Amino acid sequence: MSAEQRLTWRRRLFAFVVASVGAAAAAAISFAMTVYDAANPKPVPLAAPGQPIDTGRWTITFRDARTGSIPPTGIKPSTPKKLLMVEFDLDNRSASTSNAFLRLFTLEPPVPNLPPPAFYLARDRSVAGGLQPDMPERMIAAWEWPQAVPVPQQLRLKVTSQIHKRRDNLYGAPGWFDRDPAAVVTLAVGSGP
Amino acid sequence: MSAVLKGLGGLALAAAVLYGMQRTTPGYGEITAPRPVAGKLGHRLEGRAFAIDIAKVQLARTVATKGAARDSNFTTSGVWVLVEGTAEARTESLTLLSAEWLGANGVRYAMSQRLSSLPGMLPGQRLEPGLPMPVLMAFEIPEGQVAGGTLLIARSAWAPLAEQARIEMAGAKPVDIRPCLVLARSQGRVPWTVSAE
Repeated sequence: MSAEQRLTWRRRLFAFVVASVGAAAAAAISFAMTVYDAANPKPVPLAAPGQPIDTGRWTITFRDARTGSIPPTGIKPSTPKKLLMVEFDLDNRSASTSNAFLRLFTLEPPVPNLPPPAFYLARDRSVAGGLQPDMPERMIAAWEWPQAVPVPQQLRLKVTSQIHKRRDNLYGAPGWFDRDPAAVVTLAVGSGP
Repeated sequence: MSAVLKGLGGLALAAAVLYGMQRTTPGYGEITAPRPVAGKLGHRLEGRAFAIDIAKVQLARTVATKGAARDSNFTTSGVWVLVEGTAEARTESLTLLSAEWLGANGVRYAMSQRLSSLPGMLPGQRLEPGLPMPVLMAFEIPEGQVAGGTLLIARSAWAPLAEQARIEMAGAKPVDIRPCLVLARSQGRVPWTVSAE
């Protein structure tokens, strides 16, 4: 092996070592940052009732919470029911009609075996369908609460948030994608009819 | 020296080409967008799968319905738009499930589900070839979206590469908003009547 050949081999080895160390450092830093973020989650901001919460796709303002036995339609159910109702104002800020508000907020902590709430439009006391963009509406979410479980005095709701991506990572299609919770709201539960 | 310059120039050119390609590549939504068929209010629009003729547009602040069981009054924070027309399938029976009002600012308003149980509503009418059926559509839109609106009608809301009728609604003007329109059932060929109170 000549001296020149040995030099190029050395150079190659040096480049290989530099690239390996760089890649390993990048992977280690990225992994450490992920672990650190998971260990120290950002506190979810607290929102007061009546304060508008920007969730990206929606703007939601909680008004009040109450228990009752008659659903927002005003029709008395045939079997007695315990309902927990939350009233809120909702504005669709996306560019098309949507009913994705069905999963906009959840009880915190979750109640086991609680069916998802039904949503009603306060305007004509009917079941709510898709909400039109840029046309805010007063709505009511009603959970059918199990008779055996006491209703909490203070209701904690966690509001999720979504962002719009012009191109998602799988298809390159536009869509809405979940992000960190936008806020946590605590509502005092009153009692109604 | 010139070799280094050549190398740098090649790199810059490659970066520019890649950037241009990244910016101009159509997205999945654009590649699979519906095929538009353009039409106008008051003219029959002939598509490949269906034909539709939008005859009349009426605007109102509230809509009152007179049903068999009870009468209801539907208010809105915007404007009610009642669209009447005739639709017909061309080659096979079908149902047109999606109608949207495309506002001047690009926002799409789907048909209001609050009036969806009334007779003659577009998603409830089964269209047969050669048998024109009267169809009714109701929208809730902000007042500012009335002028310059376009009606988008398709077999379903998400139908990649399917036919979509785009009808310019040049006849709809905010000055024509009535305080109330009454929507009643009718026994004739057209199963509804729209009248101003």
